[in-house]
Amino acid sequence: MKMKPFGKKSLAMMLLSCMMLITAACGTSSGGQVTGEDTANAAASDSGGSSPVKVVWWHSMSGDVGKAAQQLVDEFNASHKDIVVQAEYQGTYDESMNKLKASLGSDSGPTLIQVYEIGSRFMIDTKAITPVQQFIDADQYDISSLEPNILNYYKFDDKLYSMPFNTSNPILYYNKDAFKAAGLDPEKPPATFAEVADAAKKLTKQGQAGGSFAIYGWFMEQLLANQGAELLNNGNGRTSMATASQLNSDPAVKTLDWWKQMVDDKSLLNLGRKTDDTSKAFAAGQIAMTLDSTASLRSIVKAAGDKFEVGTAFLPKPDAATKGGVIVGGASNWILNNRPEAEQKAAWEFIKFLAEPKSQAEWHINTGYFPITTKAYDEQNVKDNMKQYPQFQTAVDQLHQTEPSLATQGAVMGVFPEARQLTETAIEEVLNNKKTSKQALDDAAKEITSKIEEYNKTVGH
Amino acid sequence: MTLPNPPRSRSHAGAIPLNSLRVSRWKERLLAYCFLAPSLIVFGIFLFYPLGKSVYLSLFLTDPQGRIAEFVGVDNFTAVLSSDQFYNSLWVTVKYILLTVPTGAAAALLLAALSHQKLRGMKIFRFIFSLPMAVSVGTGSVIWMILYHPTLSILNYGLSFLGIPAIQWLTDPKWALPSIAIMTVWLNLGFNYIVLLSGLQGVPDDLYESAKIDGSGSLRTFFRISLPLISPSLFFVGVVSIISAFQSFAQINILTKGGPMNSTDVLVYNIYQDAFINYRFGSGSAQALILFVLITALTILQFKFGEKKVHYQ
Repeated sequence: MKMKPFGKKSLAMMLLSCMMLITAACGTSSGGQVTGEDTANAAASDSGGSSPVKVVWWHSMSGDVGKAAQQLVDEFNASHKDIVVQAEYQGTYDESMNKLKASLGSDSGPTLIQVYEIGSRFMIDTKAITPVQQFIDADQYDISSLEPNILNYYKFDDKLYSMPFNTSNPILYYNKDAFKAAGLDPEKPPATFAEVADAAKKLTKQGQAGGSFAIYGWFMEQLLANQGAELLNNGNGRTSMATASQLNSDPAVKTLDWWKQMVDDKSLLNLGRKTDDTSKAFAAGQIAMTLDSTASLRSIVKAAGDKFEVGTAFLPKPDAATKGGVIVGGASNWILNNRPEAEQKAAWEFIKFLAEPKSQAEWHINTGYFPITTKAYDEQNVKDNMKQYPQFQTAVDQLHQTEPSLATQGAVMGVFPEARQLTETAIEEVLNNKKTSKQALDDAAKEITSKIEEYNKTVGH
Repeated sequence: MTLPNPPRSRSHAGAIPLNSLRVSRWKERLLAYCFLAPSLIVFGIFLFYPLGKSVYLSLFLTDPQGRIAEFVGVDNFTAVLSSDQFYNSLWVTVKYILLTVPTGAAAALLLAALSHQKLRGMKIFRFIFSLPMAVSVGTGSVIWMILYHPTLSILNYGLSFLGIPAIQWLTDPKWALPSIAIMTVWLNLGFNYIVLLSGLQGVPDDLYESAKIDGSGSLRTFFRISLPLISPSLFFVGVVSIISAFQSFAQINILTKGGPMNSTDVLVYNIYQDAFINYRFGSGSAQALILFVLITALTILQFKFGEKKVHYQ
C-alpha cells in the first residue's frame, strides 16, 4: 500500500479541528460568564423599576455571628428598595484580606469590606479606599453618639478612615459550678495574675484543668495594654509611624512568665492557637477558665447550656493597682475607591444603617459584640437582655472603665498580622521550654522590627 | 523512528519532484506542532511563564500589595540563604521526607504483598486498601483534624484505655510533624498500593513455580524474586513520593499552619507564607527557585544512582 502523507485537505481539517478544540475550551468559560451576568442583571432589573445599586460586602462573620450579619443585611435590603447589599463570606479576616490584596488593581473586588482592626494601617497605606470621613463631612453625619473608646482606636490623624462595625474585647470566662466545687467564691472571680494562678491550681483535678488560654497574639496585646504597656515605639505608632517593636519590654516578659508558670504547674493546658478549641474544652467542662472575645459570649453561654453556669470577669492584671485597660478589638468597614460613586454612596447608606441604635442593639444581643453607639443601651431589648444574661455587662463595663491612653488606643503598624504570628511563635517557644521568656520575646521583637523597617521602606514613608 | 524513511523517500523522490517533498516535510512538521500545541500552550501558561516571572520577581522587593517596589539584585537570595528560618524549613522538609517516603512505600508494599495471594474475598481487601486514593487532601485533613483534636480526639480516647496519657498531636512541637506524616502516609497509601500491587501482578507465575520446585520458601521468594522484579515500581513510587513530599502543602495549611514553633514549616509552606500571606513575592520567588534547583538535583541523583539498582525485564 502506498503511504501517502496527509493531503492538503486532511491537513486543513486537522488544523481546523485543533483550533476548534482550543477555541471551544476558551469559549465555554467566557460564554458561561456572560450568561451569569445576564441573569444577574435580569434579576436586578426585575426587582425594582429602575435597577437598584448593587453593593458587594465582603465579611468574615461565620456561624451564629454570620447569621446575625445576614439578618441585618436582609433588613437593610427590605427597607431600601434602591440598594441591594450582597453579603459574601470570605473566610477569616486574614483570608479575606489576602483576597482583597489579590483583587486590588482589578475590578473583581468588593465595594465594602470588613477588615480587622490590625489591618487598619495597611488599608490606609494601600490608598485604595475612600475615607469614611468624606461621607461624614458631606452628610454632616453626627458621630457624637459613637462610643469614644472605639472612635479613639479608629481615628488616625483625627480622621475616620473606616466605620467601626463589630467591636469586642477579651474577657475571662469561668465555670461557676467548678468554682463552687473547688471551694472558691463564684461571685468573686480572680482579678490579678496571682489570683488566677492560685484559682487555676485549686480548680485542677482529675479530668479538669484549671484553665487554658489559646496561644493568640491578641491576648498578649490586650494583657499588655491592660497594664499600660505600649507595644511599639513612637507612641504605639500613633504619634508617628512606628519603627521598632517593644514586645520584649518588662511587662511582656513578666506576663509570659506568669503564663508559663501555670503551664508548668499543669494547672493551665496548652491547647494550641485556636480559641475555637479552648472554647470547646470550656463547654465540655475540661477546663474551668479561659480567655476569649466577648464576641463568643453568646455561643459559649449557649454551649454551656444547663450543664454549668458561665461567669465572666475582667481581663486579669499583674496587680489590682495597675492602670490600663483593653484595646477595642474587632473590625471596621472600608469603602473601596475604585467603585463607581453611586455604589460607594450606597455602601455609605448601608454603613449608616449598621450604625443605627436599633441595628446595633440587635447585633449586640445576637452576638456579644458591643454596640458602637451609646444610644443602643437605651433600647428596651438591650436592657432586657442584660437582665437575662448579666454576663454581657462585663464587657461593657470593661470597655467603659478603660482609661484612654496610647497603650489602650492600640498599636498601629502595617505588618500587624505578621507580627502577631511571630508573637505566637514566641509564646510557643516559651511554653515548650525552647527559650526563656526574655530570649523568645527579644528574638521576636528583633524580627518584627526588621519587618516594620522593610514595610516602611516599600510603602515609602 | 527514522528507520522506514529512507526506502520510502527514495521511491517518492523518483515519482515526485524534490520541491513538493520539502513542502510535505514542512507540512508534517507543522502537523506535529499542531498536535503539540495544546500541551505547549498549557505548559507555557502554567509553567514556563510563571517560571520566568519567578526569576524576575526574585530580583525585586515588593510592597505589601505585591507590587514591585525596588530592584535589589541577588539580595533576596543572600537573605534567604543566610536566614535561620530557611534552614529550619529545609531541615523540617528533610525530616518530613524521611518520615513519609520510606514508611509510605514499606506500608504499601506490605499490604500489596499480603493481598497478592489468591484467596477468596481478596478483592474486598484490595478495594479497602486502595480506598484512601479516593479521598482528597482537603477532606482527609479535615477528618484527621477531628481525630487529632486537642480535647475531643478519638485517638486519645483509645489511648486512654491502654493507660497512655493524651498526646497533643498537633500542638506539641515534638508530635506535630510525625502526626502530619502519619496522615500523609495514610493519604498516599492508596496510590502506592495500587502501583506496587500491579507490579507484583506483573511478575510471571512460572518464576514462582520454578522457585517452588527449587525449594525456596515464601520469604526467600519474596526477597529474591518479587522484590527485584518490582524494583521499577518501587523506584517509581520513590521518585513520585519524594516529589510529592516536597510539595505537600494542603495538610499543613489545614492542620498546623506551619506551627507550633515552626516545627511543621516545610519549604513550600514557608514560600506560601512569604509570598501570599505577607506579600513578599521577592523572597518567596527566591525560595521557590532554590527549591526548584534542589528537586532537580535530587531527581537527577536518584536517576543516576537509584536506577542502577532497578531491574527492568
